[in-house]
Amino acid sequence: MVDEITLSIDGQEVKTQPGKMIIEAAMDAGKYIPYLCYYPGMKPYGACRMCVVEVEGERSPPGKPASCTTPVGDGWKVTTDSSELKDLRRGIMELLISEHPHGCLTCHRVELCGPTDLCLRHVSVNDRCLTCPKNERCELKDTVRFMEMEMDTPLTYNNRHLPQAVKDPYWDMDMNLCIVCARCVRACDEVRGDSAITLQSHSGRTIIGTAQGTSLLESGCEFCGACIDVCPTGALVERDYKWDKAVTSITSTCPHCPVGCQMTLEVNKRDKLIRAIPDRHAAANRGQACFKGKFGLDFVNNRNRLNKPLIRREGVLQEATWPEALDFVADKLKTYVGDSYAMLASSRGTNEDNYIAQKFARTVMNTNNVDVSSNTRPELLKPLQEQLGHPSATNSIWELEQASRFLVVSSNMTEEQNVVAVPIKKALTQGTASLIVIDQRETELTRYAKVWLKPRPGSEAALIGGMIRVIFDESIDDHDFLAESCEDFTEFRNAIWGFDLIQVERVTGVPRSEIQAAAREFAASKPAAILYALETLPRAIREECSRALVNLALVTGNVGKKSAGLFPLLTGANDQGSRDVGCAPDFLPGHRNLTSEQGRQRVADAWNAQIPPFRGVGALDITSAINDGKVKALQVIGNNPNFTNGELGDFLEAAKSLDFLVVQDAFSSELTEIADVVLPSQTFAERRGTYTNLERRVQLLRPALGVKGDGEADWRTICQIAQRMGASGFDYTEEDPIFDELNNIVRVYGGLSYGRLEAEGLQWPCLAADMVDTPYLYERTFETRKAKLVNMTLADAEYPMDSQYPLLLAHGRVLHQPDVDMDIVELNNKNSINRQETIKVHPDDARTLGISEGDWIEVVAAGSTIEGAASLTGHQPGIVNVTTLFGELISELEANSSSDPLLHISTLPLTPVKVAKPVAQAAAD
Amino acid sequence: MPTYQEIKTTADERWQRLTAGERPWIRVGTAMCGHAAGAYEVIDALKAELEKRDINAVIDEVGCLGICYAEPLVDILKPSGSRLFFHNLTPEDVPEIIESYLVEDTVPETKVLGYMGDDPIDGVGDMNDIAGINRQLRIALRNAGNIAPNDIYQYISQGGYAGINKALTEMQPDEVIKEVTDSGLRGRGGAAFPTGVKWSFMVRSTGPKYILCNCEEGDPGAYNDKGILESDPHTLLEGLMIAGYATGSSNGIVFIRHGHDGPIDRTQEAINQAYDLGLLGENILGTDFSYDIEVALTGDSYVAGEETALMEAIEGKRAQPRFRPPFPAAFGVWGKPSTINNVKSLAYTPEIISNGAEWFSSIGVNRSTGTAILCLNGNITYPGLYEVPMGLTLGEVVNDIGGGVPNGKELKLLQTGGPLGGVLSSESMDIHLDFDEMRSAGAILGSGGIIVGDEDVCAVDLTRILVAFCQYESCGKCFPCRLGMEHLLEITERIARCESRPGDLDLMRSVGGTMETTSLCGHGQLGFGPIRSAITHFEADFISHIEEGKCPTGSCLGPKHVPKNTRPFATEFVPGGQNG
Repeated sequence: MVDEITLSIDGQEVKTQPGKMIIEAAMDAGKYIPYLCYYPGMKPYGACRMCVVEVEGERSPPGKPASCTTPVGDGWKVTTDSSELKDLRRGIMELLISEHPHGCLTCHRVELCGPTDLCLRHVSVNDRCLTCPKNERCELKDTVRFMEMEMDTPLTYNNRHLPQAVKDPYWDMDMNLCIVCARCVRACDEVRGDSAITLQSHSGRTIIGTAQGTSLLESGCEFCGACIDVCPTGALVERDYKWDKAVTSITSTCPHCPVGCQMTLEVNKRDKLIRAIPDRHAAANRGQACFKGKFGLDFVNNRNRLNKPLIRREGVLQEATWPEALDFVADKLKTYVGDSYAMLASSRGTNEDNYIAQKFARTVMNTNNVDVSSNTRPELLKPLQEQLGHPSATNSIWELEQASRFLVVSSNMTEEQNVVAVPIKKALTQGTASLIVIDQRETELTRYAKVWLKPRPGSEAALIGGMIRVIFDESIDDHDFLAESCEDFTEFRNAIWGFDLIQVERVTGVPRSEIQAAAREFAASKPAAILYALETLPRAIREECSRALVNLALVTGNVGKKSAGLFPLLTGANDQGSRDVGCAPDFLPGHRNLTSEQGRQRVADAWNAQIPPFRGVGALDITSAINDGKVKALQVIGNNPNFTNGELGDFLEAAKSLDFLVVQDAFSSELTEIADVVLPSQTFAERRGTYTNLERRVQLLRPALGVKGDGEADWRTICQIAQRMGASGFDYTEEDPIFDELNNIVRVYGGLSYGRLEAEGLQWPCLAADMVDTPYLYERTFETRKAKLVNMTLADAEYPMDSQYPLLLAHGRVLHQPDVDMDIVELNNKNSINRQETIKVHPDDARTLGISEGDWIEVVAAGSTIEGAASLTGHQPGIVNVTTLFGELISELEANSSSDPLLHISTLPLTPVKVAKPVAQAAAD
Repeated sequence: MPTYQEIKTTADERWQRLTAGERPWIRVGTAMCGHAAGAYEVIDALKAELEKRDINAVIDEVGCLGICYAEPLVDILKPSGSRLFFHNLTPEDVPEIIESYLVEDTVPETKVLGYMGDDPIDGVGDMNDIAGINRQLRIALRNAGNIAPNDIYQYISQGGYAGINKALTEMQPDEVIKEVTDSGLRGRGGAAFPTGVKWSFMVRSTGPKYILCNCEEGDPGAYNDKGILESDPHTLLEGLMIAGYATGSSNGIVFIRHGHDGPIDRTQEAINQAYDLGLLGENILGTDFSYDIEVALTGDSYVAGEETALMEAIEGKRAQPRFRPPFPAAFGVWGKPSTINNVKSLAYTPEIISNGAEWFSSIGVNRSTGTAILCLNGNITYPGLYEVPMGLTLGEVVNDIGGGVPNGKELKLLQTGGPLGGVLSSESMDIHLDFDEMRSAGAILGSGGIIVGDEDVCAVDLTRILVAFCQYESCGKCFPCRLGMEHLLEITERIARCESRPGDLDLMRSVGGTMETTSLCGHGQLGFGPIRSAITHFEADFISHIEEGKCPTGSCLGPKHVPKNTRPFATEFVPGGQNG
């Protein structure tokens, strides 16, 4: 196989690699060949035939091959624009135009029509440029223009006159504009692995739709919008701001989850964010997004904006000027210096915000009571730092495409960190990988799992220990890696003997054979990646379980290799960055442990200040600290689902008892209602700064919108307060110097700068400006310093239970349940799912509760009830399973009118419940 | 598992009992032609009558003897005699026939077609004197109409599975390929590519390989693949096994169009029987060769007969063609090397192996060896399924075998090779059945369908019907075919209604030219063929519609043959029917 192929394209010599298609080689060389069905990054399809070329040379294809499906050959002479080819293309385009509304091209006013002109109806209403949502964004139109067509074909024009599909959430489908290039179908199929849409019928009737012809809600759609992003015409469009034109666009980072998708934000002339299009060239998301990023960013346009600082006077929040508010806060805070003050920064705060926040808390307020409000599972990172070195994921998201084994532990990844699941699903559907899931809930990934283990809640660490035991027993561990790269191996191995499989089976409730199957499957092939969120685990065993997973990765030699490694799945967009810059109660910037004298000194020197040596109050302890009266003044930045969903206990109630509550937020919320001072901040779309995603990639936030009201960057607000409190070291005027300062302290950020990040997001460690970044960690680390195996002991499962609610509800959610009967009904002119839930109860529990198969029962939790038919197929005593459809969640979300609906998205924790027959029915029995 | 010799002995014994036993053997043609003509009603009547008279006879359903016009065709073989054929039977005829031939032992007066065998029957002509029989040379169809397709022993008694036995025991795979190559056998699916050469492409690759047999056969007026599967499925299975052995593949898939129930059921039953006898599965006939065959069904799609679309369909996907390269021999079904052969091509191979390449290549003319299997229908006296040596002229086929155009009408045109094949005028009757000669004459032998049109057929009307078929059956993937066929149909319809616009013929040529050069698969590339050949040969018919505003034969008028699915969205989905 030759490495390089030289061919000539229209006389221009082009060098390219074997296997490339002619059209790719031409595009790389800056040569445009018209195309419609081809899409960069997807497999060639060869339907539109627009890209036909002429080829001469050895073994070249005869006739007029399509350049998107013809691999290059050495020494070939390719012609792309002979007059014959142009005629052929025009011939095809004339056919295409004969069924596509094209008034936008033929209207005699096209050249003259000004922005304020009324349409004088020279064109029928279906065909007008103004009625097309993609007017002037249309690839078809651009292609016609490029081809310089006369538009005088004698072929008859026929509009399809199909009704538009506008009843599904978020997207509109106008099949009269479809050119049947099938890009959407292919994107859904090959990129997303969902196959929610398909080509229907054949011949001239061929059209896009769902297989059942009804609604996306039941077809397995994850509402990622990938189909919309690839549509060349106005056939598939986002519903909101459908007809709005963008006047500016800029690429920024999505604030909804730690994947850090790069989104091109389009803004209209009224300075509203109208569309978000995932960036095809971004390393983090490669042109993909999810329902949150694609359809959930326009919360920034919400009218419910806080425009002015508010101060509570005589019990009422009243508008104030910035100087007033800042003076007021500074004065107040002076009285709480020390541990009676706490700061909860935002997971959407930039590295700069959160760096300043912790610097403020530590140097001005003299406390370590600082954390981000999303930091509810710090145990995920801790063992990574202790055993391997860095508290972060070891590898990159898109390396997962090449992994051959996945272990996913208690994570609803397809909803929470959606794009991470895209390469996983791709590897699984290609058949190059297999998946093991440990989760009590049925999630989208369990549908792909080869082995799905459902341990007793709280016994997950024991289960992993059992798997390691099997791996040692059967000698399928990575002996070489263990010997060369790990310390304390023998001791660890001896400790693992404690995991007697009979005992593990007793503790976990998982049959021995399944534990063995999972262990064998996982160890059978490399590279293997472990992804864990530990959402359903009780807090007490999360650390133990994380440690077990790190051990498992080491035992199988899956650290320090491409496409392998560990991925702790956090939830906040900048959770990783917040940890890196020290916005945590127990860590200083640069992951320096607070208890380390040397580390503390290094940071203190840089700041020229003192740092208290004791661990502060973090997000998880804040509610009890307030209730205990330890924390009296609280400063909160940004809204967070954890304030209301119980993750932080009854935080809102506790916050009411605070002496002083300052809230910095862009929108009013339950928390701003009870604040003493509310300081307006800016949304991500108005901000400059950096986020660090879950693969350690530091990416820029670029301001897409102008300033709204008196909203201010959070770091600036904090600096103002600090300066008013007489502190030095807070006189920044913009983000760059903050970033430069934190780069000095956070060693792994050392080589990063706004200048470098402007070109692309970079993954730390990047120690110097002339060094490259690090896609995966520990490639050579263990040559000098060994990884630590930490001993494990088998303990009984423990899950804190509530006597009133004796069972646990494992609520799962999947995209598609073809085996469950359901109807699509119209409610308020919107499609919605109507179906009966099936509640899976273990036969033992059913016997106790007097429930038999098919009984209508209700599952009651504190504050919610689910009704459904009982099915005695539960897998564990004490657990009740319900699996709902993602479509139902999407319908709810779309109907939600709050300022940021995604903050109210129902996550899927294990919920304490009781199960009973509904009162009426029980009486009837 | 029994050896071939043991199986053969059993089969011969059974055959002996059938032909020279105590009981008469009644064979009823129940292929599509017989079925449609009412063969099953005749069988019911036969059974009832035999029971009534307490006669112990064997009734077998057999395939098609070729003379479809005579269906339901029944023959009775009395022990050690000749077969006596009765044509066009109805249930009402049955009592009389049983009465006279089986009870009274006299030849009935009516509905007797002839005898077949060595012993003449008094007062009855020899079947071999019938043109439809005596001009035939049946290789692929050698057993059709003679043996019951659901009895593997009958096939074996006629020399079945001797070819694969010979290949397995006496020949190396490359010798098999050489034999097939030397025989000059060319693919009967339309492209006429040498079968042996096609097989040799597969030999080099390793790993799983597949032999796919294409019985999509959606062409109107084509029924020879189905005829083979219904009449003698084992010959196909044997051919598949030979192909499998030659190419080193381990699996064969018979791909049949959904809805062809007779072929599907009979092929499946044949496969089951072959497994039962150890002729399929592991270590066939005690050799190292293992082979599996399964039946796969298409959806309702004509394009599924295109080789790459067929693979997509087998994989359970939408039946639409892939682009090439990669070619199937490298990247076929499930990405594995695959070879696709037509039913007819494979059905020849057992006889080629048994009798040798020389024997096969001595039949036929030039580079077209062997026989042509023709489906002769339309305005013809004796429609049927005829296997004749290559090299006959179309005139011989139509006049000598088919009996010419009935009712004293003149022959006007022939439509050959399926709807994409085009039409020939009556001047083409001297063309020989020869792949290359047909092609240079602008027609293809293709699937072997020949539809005869008499003087009352309007070329425009026929074209409209062909184009409507091609349009409806476009898979809808590539733009030129999906859209071009719609416009071609629309314009053809316009001409047929005598409402043509100036320049319509040029417009058709322009659209057709685009389709021909740029379409993804043969469907679009050949889609303009029927129109072009119709305009070439019958320009007068078009001119009459366009310039004089009338149809010369009148067949374009009236409501018959309304093409469906033309510009569908414009006509079917509009509320109230108005058109914007």
